[in-house]
Amino acid sequence: MQHLTVDQWSRRESFLHARDPRAKLVALLCFLVWLATVPAVTPEVACGYGGLLLAAALMARLPLAPLLQRTAIVMPFAGTFALLSWLSGDSARAASLLVKSSFSAFAVMLAVATTPMPALLAGAERLGAPTMVVTVVQFLYRYLFVLSEKARNMRLAAACRGGLRRKAAGGAITVLFGSSYERAEGIHRAMLSRGYTGRLVMHGTFRFGWMDGLLALVTVIVLTGGRLLWRL
Amino acid sequence: MHIPDGFLAPGMWAGLDISAALSVGYLSRRAQAGLEEGQAPLLGVMGAFVFAAQMINFPVGIGTSGHLVGSALLACTLGPAAAAVVMTAILIVQALVFQDGGVLALGANVMNMAVAGTLAGYLPYHYWGRGPWRRAAIFLGGVLSVLAPACLALAELRASGVPMPGPVVGVSLLLFLVSALVEGLITLAVVGSLEKMNAGWVRTSTGVNSRVRGALGATAILLASVGALAASILPDGLEKLAGNLGIEGRARTLLATPLRDYELRMISEPWLRKIAAGLAGLAIIYVVCLGICRLMTRKQSV
Repeated sequence: MQHLTVDQWSRRESFLHARDPRAKLVALLCFLVWLATVPAVTPEVACGYGGLLLAAALMARLPLAPLLQRTAIVMPFAGTFALLSWLSGDSARAASLLVKSSFSAFAVMLAVATTPMPALLAGAERLGAPTMVVTVVQFLYRYLFVLSEKARNMRLAAACRGGLRRKAAGGAITVLFGSSYERAEGIHRAMLSRGYTGRLVMHGTFRFGWMDGLLALVTVIVLTGGRLLWRL
Repeated sequence: MHIPDGFLAPGMWAGLDISAALSVGYLSRRAQAGLEEGQAPLLGVMGAFVFAAQMINFPVGIGTSGHLVGSALLACTLGPAAAAVVMTAILIVQALVFQDGGVLALGANVMNMAVAGTLAGYLPYHYWGRGPWRRAAIFLGGVLSVLAPACLALAELRASGVPMPGPVVGVSLLLFLVSALVEGLITLAVVGSLEKMNAGWVRTSTGVNSRVRGALGATAILLASVGALAASILPDGLEKLAGNLGIEGRARTLLATPLRDYELRMISEPWLRKIAAGLAGLAIIYVVCLGICRLMTRKQSV
């Protein structure tokens, strides 16, 4: 499946891949907050934040072109509103919308493409995200591709029979609901029999080493320095 | 509509993040209390189901296609609190993996779609779910679960200063209305056939079966979301009304006296003033609806 690409990227090896998920989450959140509170988006701002992202992408040793291609997903939405701003004479806001939305999406994707989803979520949980929500997201991500594959097959089968009308689509969704619900019950029973107590246990332990601390610290210092010295 | 990062004003996303964290914390506790122990796997798999169901798209009109959003369907089957948690999980995965919606804007998207959308989708079912209007309730829930979040998202964008001329708002509302009607029809069809497959999957409505309350609730949701939008587009609406009624001066001194110090420091930002106006409008609508509801129920119980 197409979206597995990000999942495959997240299992590679590099300096950024090896860092603790918590360090990456802290660095990501700082980057997003600093970018969102930039007073005015000037070419210097775009270069500064873009340079940081480029450095991170090089550290992660990920292919740049596909990363950029995936970031372009935000363009239809951001581009429409940027165009509207530009037409109404507010070109500063147009630049701000384009730069902020695309850079933020790129930063999020870098974090997700360098950290396997289960580790990222476990890191978020250690940072204080509610356990219930994190557990639900863990299960969602685990079965997302399984169920999507099933839906894809159903759609293919429907196309072979002459396409989906609204009523048939309702039926297909109902069948999918039923099989998902039963699958969930089966999964739950199987997990209970293996000793599941309502919490997912991660294999391996997290170690927040000095390199991880350094990554978060350097990000914060660079961002704060840029803000204080050059109002970036 | 998923709001990406970079669109909302800092005060807007920060405030909505905090309120989303609080509401999701409360709702997940309620969901845990309402379900059997350790049912997180069920919620996760049903979230994956919604993702998968969105791949089954079907033609709507000519050349366009629609797909399920799912919050009303989940609310009718898993209950509103659990549905809100599942929708939150879906939004988190969409923001992280699919770049659909921002991370800082997650609070806004969660408040719009997971909290407001799910509750709006469940409310008609809560009141009409057992009576003769059951089918209408499911349909209306589906419609509201798309329309309310759309209005709120447009209002938040507008209040953050994103330019949105009248025609743009009109066209997007029209598009949202079409997809809301489709959502209502699909929810109705799926809940109907789910009941035939296994009646245990569809939640029995536990609410007081009251037509008046249901109608009031649905109207309140519509008024609140459309009101938020209207307040963000026409922030002077309330002031103009007050001026026409001749209470402007009085209302201003009434409001200004306790808030004078804050007004100088905080309400100097135009977007904050707009939000304040919107919130005040919502509070007024809420109090009025609550009052009417109390009066009606008192009359019924006598």
